Amino acid sequence: MSSLLIQTPLPHGGRLVERVIRDKEAAKKMIKGCPSYDIKPTLHYETGVPVRNVYREIMSICYGFFSPVEGSMKQAEVERILKERRLLNDWIFPYPLVFDISKEDYKKLGVGAGDRLVLNLKGKPFAILDIEEVWEIDNPEELAHKTFGTPKDNPEVVKEPFDKKHPGWVIYRSLQPIVLAGKYTIINEPKFRPPFDRFWFPPRKCREEFSKRGWRTAIAHQTRNVPHVGHEFLMKNAAYTGDVEPCHGILVNAIIGVKRRGDYPDEAIVEGQEAVSTGGYIKPERRFVSICLWDMRYGNPLESLLHGIIRQNMGCTHHMFGRDHAAVGEYYDKWATQILWTKGIPSYGFPAPPTDVPYGLTIRPQNMREFSYCPTCKEMAYSESCGHKREKLSGSFLRGMVAEGVQPPAIIMRPEVYKVIVKWWKHFGYPFCNEKYVINKEKELEVDLEDL
Amino acid sequence: MAHFIVVLLDDNRMAKLSGSGLEDKIKYMFGGELRCLEVEVPEEISKKILATFDTARIDSRGAITDVPVAFLRELFNQIAEKKSLGPEVLEAVLAKADEIKEAAAKESEYLPPPDIEV
Ligand SMILES: [Zn+2]
Repeated sequence: MSSLLIQTPLPHGGRLVERVIRDKEAAKKMIKGCPSYDIKPTLHYETGVPVRNVYREIMSICYGFFSPVEGSMKQAEVERILKERRLLNDWIFPYPLVFDISKEDYKKLGVGAGDRLVLNLKGKPFAILDIEEVWEIDNPEELAHKTFGTPKDNPEVVKEPFDKKHPGWVIYRSLQPIVLAGKYTIINEPKFRPPFDRFWFPPRKCREEFSKRGWRTAIAHQTRNVPHVGHEFLMKNAAYTGDVEPCHGILVNAIIGVKRRGDYPDEAIVEGQEAVSTGGYIKPERRFVSICLWDMRYGNPLESLLHGIIRQNMGCTHHMFGRDHAAVGEYYDKWATQILWTKGIPSYGFPAPPTDVPYGLTIRPQNMREFSYCPTCKEMAYSESCGHKREKLSGSFLRGMVAEGVQPPAIIMRPEVYKVIVKWWKHFGYPFCNEKYVINKEKELEVDLEDL
Repeated sequence: MAHFIVVLLDDNRMAKLSGSGLEDKIKYMFGGELRCLEVEVPEEISKKILATFDTARIDSRGAITDVPVAFLRELFNQIAEKKSLGPEVLEAVLAKADEIKEAAAKESEYLPPPDIEV
């Protein structure tokens, strides 16, 4: 065996967190006599529009996507994350994650440390929170700023102060003041509605899928988009990285969560990604699509750290990162993520890349530039290889083409992918997320629950 | 820097341009698979467009995108009518801003899907 072979990495923190009770009788006993609380969406502090649902965090924590995080964080843990992006057990982690409620609800509930709270979702018992500490967020605006950084505190990568145009900042700004900290346990497994059900590969199942397929090495591709051919070429070519041979597999992991108007619907994203494989452009044996529930914080380098954690937990050996990774607006340097993974960002607590600090990650970054069509090469060409003038393809140009009802040429978007867009366009009456979709999505969520 | 707007051309629109003298302005993108016209947008008009239509933005190529479909439709109509790609077509479109906004409000909730087999 070559000494150069890369093995499937251990989960972040050393072991996979799994906090799901599947025995209904045991679950019933666990919640007997406990107070309960109906999970509420986080509403925009000004407009009242839903911007987050904590159920998605509970799912991602309890199924191990965010290992080693086990629950809603204590005050000391949040403070440590804001200072050096580490959990109290020293493992690196980018964001505070809390179960927040209003003062009125807190008074009504009358719970405290040592109590078990049953969390209902869509009117059914869903999870429990074993409260270890109750603490208060006195200044959500300060919390929001500290979460993402400022040009003054993080001059390496933050270009503009965060404000209410940034959806991630708004999430933290909109948190309720009382935090119930403690571990979550799911006691009634939600069922994903089609088409999401077939893309649900929580870390243990994902790792099993890798070994079934004989994948020792797999490269993760982050998405919240219907793929165009530029994305396809990024995936194909990044996957040539591996150890002594190209990566055995490509794992597409779509972040599913609260939507903004103008995004593609999640249904079109997962099936559009799938169509790249069923259409044979990257054959299904080499690539599959999965989902992770999370209301995007758009924290560029910080988000990339979370992505690294999620995909290492899923068993990936590599992760591709491009320009403006998980970014919105011009808050961050457009290469901030690649800076983090090649040099580190000292002001965030990373004097070295996340792979080179104690209690860091083992997943390897594959930093990519861009692919675009070159009329001279007559192919999709890599920006660092082709020396001609290329035709850049922007996502918004493509959206405009779709909105006008013009089918993009196959060199821009595969016809199988376009068909998926039109399928869901017919279903929702709109090719993108309109107001109705956004509202309905936060009401219906991605799952249904049975009685316990 | 002046920006530009890409006006996509399908067969229907190509027919309307015949004899307009604009045929030699047609650009072919993506290996000839996409036909379009590029309308240059002077700085001042570009500012006006961004201020009038709040979804509008400038992408990495310097193209103004995410304007209402009704805007693009009217832009093509004006090009075909005036047989020009000059700033006067943009002025004419902006003169109809209220009308376009009204149509845009509707198209932000519904757009007719293309009639293809899925
Ligand atoms: Zn070239």
